[in-house]
Amino acid sequence: MRTSHEPLVSMHGCSKRYGTVTALDGLDFELGAGLTAVLGRNGAGKSTLVGLMLGLLRPDAGEIRAFGRAPHALEVRQQRGVMLQTAGLPRPLTVRELVQLFSGYYPAPRPLEETLQRAGIADVANRRCSDLSGGQKRRVQFALAICGGPRLLVLDEPTVALDLEARHEVWKTIRDLVAEGTTVLLTTHHMEEAEALADRIVVLDRGRIVADGTQEAIKARFATRTIRCRTQLTPVQLGALPGVRNVAQAGMHVVLQTDAVEQTMRALLDRDTTATDLSIVDTELEDAFLALTRSNQDLQEVA
Amino acid sequence: MSVTSVSIGAIYARECQAEFRKAWRMPEFSLPTILLPLGFYSLFALALGQAGGRGPQLPLLATFGVYAALGPAIFGFGVGMANERQQGLLELKRVSPMPAQAIVAAKLIMCMVFAFAVVVALHGLATLAGGVRLPFLTQLGLAAIQTVSVVPFACIGLLLGLALRDQAAMAAANVAFFLLAVLGGLWMPMAAFPGWLQHFALLLPSYHAGELALHAVGLGDRYPASLHAIVALGETALFAAAALWAWRRQLASV
Repeated sequence: MRTSHEPLVSMHGCSKRYGTVTALDGLDFELGAGLTAVLGRNGAGKSTLVGLMLGLLRPDAGEIRAFGRAPHALEVRQQRGVMLQTAGLPRPLTVRELVQLFSGYYPAPRPLEETLQRAGIADVANRRCSDLSGGQKRRVQFALAICGGPRLLVLDEPTVALDLEARHEVWKTIRDLVAEGTTVLLTTHHMEEAEALADRIVVLDRGRIVADGTQEAIKARFATRTIRCRTQLTPVQLGALPGVRNVAQAGMHVVLQTDAVEQTMRALLDRDTTATDLSIVDTELEDAFLALTRSNQDLQEVA
Repeated sequence: MSVTSVSIGAIYARECQAEFRKAWRMPEFSLPTILLPLGFYSLFALALGQAGGRGPQLPLLATFGVYAALGPAIFGFGVGMANERQQGLLELKRVSPMPAQAIVAAKLIMCMVFAFAVVVALHGLATLAGGVRLPFLTQLGLAAIQTVSVVPFACIGLLLGLALRDQAAMAAANVAFFLLAVLGGLWMPMAAFPGWLQHFALLLPSYHAGELALHAVGLGDRYPASLHAIVALGETALFAAAALWAWRRQLASV
């Protein structure tokens, strides 16, 4: 029986191969409310995930459902807006004509002027697509994704080719749409973008999900925080402190990586009352991301 | 959640409107498509051909009308469709709530209307400047054959566009365009060619379409019109199936 908590999209055991390259490897994924960012390097499998979710690709194994149906069903497409990575637009049409054409595909589209406003292209609405800059084209594609007033918005690397100002504008619109109840799935390889927008972050690496949770949970999952200080203890003594994973020398300072910052700190101050210049640095999401994908790489190399 | 329905007819209509706008605003497509058949007909039939009863005005009206369908079909439909696929525009339409057939239908309708307009202009030119007089129904039948010959050529254009990329597709389309026109006997009568080329022409759908047009005005060759019709239909089915196969294969490999 269906409940309102059922995920909008669910993928079970999905695999996709291109020749000998495994793009996705037995992926399980459920998309719930809010904004989910799929984060990964180039080639991590983000676009394959999107292709499967949209019904553009067929999985070699596994099952995908959207709104309880096959991802390519008309009822699904009518409730979904999509922005793909490819940047082609019909060159001779004006922006207004194109957005109008796509709005007409949907049963209850957003008013045209509102779509143009929200995508930040009202000022170029009467220009032909051939006369737009790369960033403007990207925003027209964003307009095509939101014009139908969809419940589900799938954005594949939406802010590539946008300058900083345009990126922040698009972010604002995305945040507004989420606040209005739209479910958004967004892929990115910009940590900053995931950090700015996402309720939930899924880190994809080599076709597998290596981390999945809130920003805080992802950071905590790799919760090695860093203590910097000047101390008289030797590296061996420091390495024996509770929680410490790694000790490094940085000029006059030592840098300790620790899983349990409070215990480490207490023990350190117990043993060396002369320790000075103490500072604790939080793990940035970027560092967590790098650590997650790097450790996976190391594992693969060992295997 | 219930989804209100969208009028499929309205989507088809808007899609056609967009196709006409695109064609109209691309002079690199529309100008040669209009001017080449009219210009060549003026040159070969009106300027070079002697006036009078057995002149080339009528037979060349028949074959140049088929030639008028060749341009929109190969460049407008075939290459145009392949370009939009490469740009990722077709992918975006496939994931949006519109029927994929509307894309094909709108482009085909645009090309046929375009071809029909050039055919009408050609008939006008032949009547006014070439002294061609045909019974109304004959003229209508001729125009219909010429306009419908868009279909086999469109399939050939689509195949080329899918098999090759960008510049190569454009070059191949140009070669196919001139081969089908000249070796299919659309520019000058087949009798002007050596025997082996006449045999080669039997393979070309443009030859059979041209002969059907000639039969319609009583100028057919020694083969019956029904034979040309059967071969033309068979070839159309073959090219359509091949284009459909290539289309599916390409979309699946995206």
